[in-house]
Amino acid sequence: MKLTLRRRLILIGCASALMLATISVIGESVRASWKEAKLSGEPSQEQPSIPVEGGVFRLIQKALAYKNAPETDAGRQLNGYYGRRAFPGAPPVIPHPTFDERSIGGKACMGCHAEGGFVPFLKAYAPVTPHPEMSNCKQCHASGHQEPGRTPSPFASSRFDPLPPPAIQGAALPGAPPPIPHSLDMRSNCLACHAGPGAPKQIRTSHPERVNCRQCHVQNVPGEPAAPFFQNRGSEPSWEP
Amino acid sequence: MERRQLLKQMAASSAFASAQAVFPGITFAAPKSNASLEGVAWKKAPCRFCGTGCGLLVGIKGSKAVAVKGDALSPVNKGLCCVKGYHAILALYGSDRLTKALVRKNGKLSPAPMAEALDLVANRMKETIAKYGKDAVAIYGSGQWTVPDGYAAAKFFKGGIGTNNVEANARLCMASAVTGFMSSFGLDEPMGCYEDIDHADVFVLWGNNMAEMHPVLFSRLLDQRMNRPGVKIIDLATRTTRTSLASDRLMLFHPQTDLALANAIAYEIIRNGWHNKTFLEKHVSFWTGKTNIGYGLEDKFAFEDKGEQVSFQRFQQLLEEYTPEKVEQISGVPVKDIRFLASLYGDPARKVTSFWCMGVNQHTRGTWMNNLIYNIHLLTGKISTPGNSPFSLTGQPSACGTVREVGTLTNRLPHGVVSNEADRKMAAGIWKVPVDRIPAMPTYHTVEMFRALDRGDIRFLWIQVTNPMVSMPKLRRYRDAANKEDRFIVVSDVYPTPTTDIADVVLPSAMWIEREGMFGNSERRTQHWEAMLPPPGEAMSDTWQLIEIARRMGHGQLFPWTKENHVEEIYKEYSKFHSGAKHEMGSYEDLKKHSGVIWPFVNGKETKWRYHAKYDPAAKGDSFDFYGFPDHKARVWFRPYEPAPEVPDKAYPFWLNTGRVVEHWHTGSMTRRIPVLDKAMPKAYVELHPDDAKALAIRDGDRVRLTSRRGSLVLAASIDKRGRPAKGMVFVPFFDEGILINELTLDSFCPISKEPDYKKCAVKVEKA
Repeated sequence: MKLTLRRRLILIGCASALMLATISVIGESVRASWKEAKLSGEPSQEQPSIPVEGGVFRLIQKALAYKNAPETDAGRQLNGYYGRRAFPGAPPVIPHPTFDERSIGGKACMGCHAEGGFVPFLKAYAPVTPHPEMSNCKQCHASGHQEPGRTPSPFASSRFDPLPPPAIQGAALPGAPPPIPHSLDMRSNCLACHAGPGAPKQIRTSHPERVNCRQCHVQNVPGEPAAPFFQNRGSEPSWEP
Repeated sequence: MERRQLLKQMAASSAFASAQAVFPGITFAAPKSNASLEGVAWKKAPCRFCGTGCGLLVGIKGSKAVAVKGDALSPVNKGLCCVKGYHAILALYGSDRLTKALVRKNGKLSPAPMAEALDLVANRMKETIAKYGKDAVAIYGSGQWTVPDGYAAAKFFKGGIGTNNVEANARLCMASAVTGFMSSFGLDEPMGCYEDIDHADVFVLWGNNMAEMHPVLFSRLLDQRMNRPGVKIIDLATRTTRTSLASDRLMLFHPQTDLALANAIAYEIIRNGWHNKTFLEKHVSFWTGKTNIGYGLEDKFAFEDKGEQVSFQRFQQLLEEYTPEKVEQISGVPVKDIRFLASLYGDPARKVTSFWCMGVNQHTRGTWMNNLIYNIHLLTGKISTPGNSPFSLTGQPSACGTVREVGTLTNRLPHGVVSNEADRKMAAGIWKVPVDRIPAMPTYHTVEMFRALDRGDIRFLWIQVTNPMVSMPKLRRYRDAANKEDRFIVVSDVYPTPTTDIADVVLPSAMWIEREGMFGNSERRTQHWEAMLPPPGEAMSDTWQLIEIARRMGHGQLFPWTKENHVEEIYKEYSKFHSGAKHEMGSYEDLKKHSGVIWPFVNGKETKWRYHAKYDPAAKGDSFDFYGFPDHKARVWFRPYEPAPEVPDKAYPFWLNTGRVVEHWHTGSMTRRIPVLDKAMPKAYVELHPDDAKALAIRDGDRVRLTSRRGSLVLAASIDKRGRPAKGMVFVPFFDEGILINELTLDSFCPISKEPDYKKCAVKVEKA
């Protein structure tokens, strides 16, 4: 295709504008990083991570966006949420077609599930994973997608009777913060499941900007043996299994 | 807040009915309390637990407390609480609440009428004084004493009986903060207030796990970081905690080396010329004190610091020992990180607020550490202005309001110290007692008080609102002391504890909102609450117990008041001690009206920043005025690094660090009776670094034996759960009376403040 002079000029103009912009952006970032470097640099000490404890702060940078986002109802309901799990705490199945059967998930899954957001072809908001550091997604999340027109498997029926999902709203007093009714292993990042449009409405927090969730919500897992306060009346200190 | 409340209430009431229809398979737990919020009266009270002093609104229906919400009008917490605050009222309703007096008969505590128990206490006190002298009776209270409790105790013991045997457990948690303030500024308590959080650009946390221990204040830090670009949180610690994980930078230092680290920051600030020369010239003097000051491990240990004023050049010279290179060797903090931290403090464009609590105060050089943090703020002139604030936090609701301001310590009076004649005269004048009634010599600080009980110098000890048989260091010695022949122990409390186990008489106390009172929080805020509930059974407020005993002992004229008006009258009398622009208290009427009032409260206005003429009516001139000292200058102290008394060695190779968890408050006697909190955190444990655990073949949950030179116990291992101690250190929370970690701790203390160090002793760790 032969370019007219006019088009060439426009192209050259665009290219130079882009270059100038690039240079100024790079310059700015170099200046900024120099300024930052003078005062900070990278930490020279080990910065340990304790996933089960630190997870609560992982999406801290999105908390304000969640707070300020208009109320969007993705139509995701709690019964559907539990419906994808064989029992409470089991990894949910993948309810939609996946793109590369051979991949472990990884980047493909993370494209939508790391940050969340609207997925037009599924007409749904992607739920955010609470454990993005684990990239072999399909190790735990099997496909639960039923190809249209396929005959149901003869092995599909089961007598397995799952426990009921944990009760919600189990506050000790009217208005008191309800405790966390589930394990925090791989689920310590509260905002992932409890904030944003991908979260089922029934368990979405009204106050995502309060990022230290566990300041008010402590873990009380139903079914786990309760250890009632043992009063040690002057006996020798002992360890109770 | 109201909206959320309403929504929750609606959800709670309608949820159960509609749940099955809307979400098949989903159950909603029925609200455990059936109380509808209709007809509930909301009354204000400060929270019962920590020193933050959150404003709560307690929902009262009939004679029951049914709900709690944050007081949106309180500038402390602005409507938010932590999990303990939201469930605080449940602490009133434990099934083993003490409602009757108990008297030990034939070795067993048995119920007795309150009047009989009070007679017995008064008679025993009189007999003890007759037999052993007035310094053989003592009272040991706490930072949970309300203002009137502490005032009645001080007036009765110092002005009535005439002994300085008055101490409080706040000696174990903030005495170093007091001596730090006194030696650097000549007056106690922070210059700033929580509003500093809204202005600061950098928060430096010195050994302070705020995310768990002061969660509401920490939420204000997180809010600021989220809403203002550039706000940074730096965590200086010996253990990785929830706070470390939320902070922008964690700097781990070896135990005790915070002394060297603080000096290196000061060194670096001066080397770079970041110190504020005009500020230093006008407002600061430089001092050195004694060195090699000991650890208080022996009975009757005595120490008095002696300051000597030096030049800035001399101070600078002394700091030469603390170059970042040398301090990296001592502390383990890399040179680069030390320089970074110094640059944050030194950058004139950044406002810096430092927070600290038990890591700095429970330290055998606690006073020094307080001085060293003030040094950094004074060198840079970052003090007494919004956002520039060295801020010492407290752990108990009225450690400031009662112990520090009323002066319930052996050396203190409501205004000043017993050793000062003018202060004694003032107290005698207000109390209407002869001035020679108040002895000029202090007697025993807390650790020495329990040692005196062991030796037999003290024969009668009255313990109110505290649980020393869980919280004293080197516990066995002091428990054995209390159980010795011819020792009489009275305990006023709300639940049976290991301390009531050693009592001869147990007096049931009215708790928190069952009586009228005031607390004073960390930011000089005094908060009043009214009696909202009837106390159970014969339970009686600690103030009224003291008055009953005083009357029985012939000191009734000290308390010429009725059950109805005594709190108001005590507060009015007490306020006289603090009149004047430096410490004017809000009036009783002001306190009833507001969600707390910060003193100095002058002409209806709170003084949010002291020592600066722009904010403080007591300050002269047009800028800073450190009026606590006669020369109107604050003091920068050279304080060296000195090692801890007991460091890990071959036989005991690990540091033992102790502390708290978010769910439980102090010795757990209240929070463990709140089912939500007990279930969330049922037992103490020992945290190990994963590498240490691996080397010892210990897995999470395994039984581990910890042994120090003082004791041994077995508990479960916790690996990478709530926290991760540094390699070579273990951490155990102290809330669990079934796992008494203080059997192992050492009773060494800061020679200046006499506050013990619960954070450092040596233990060995074995798989049990």
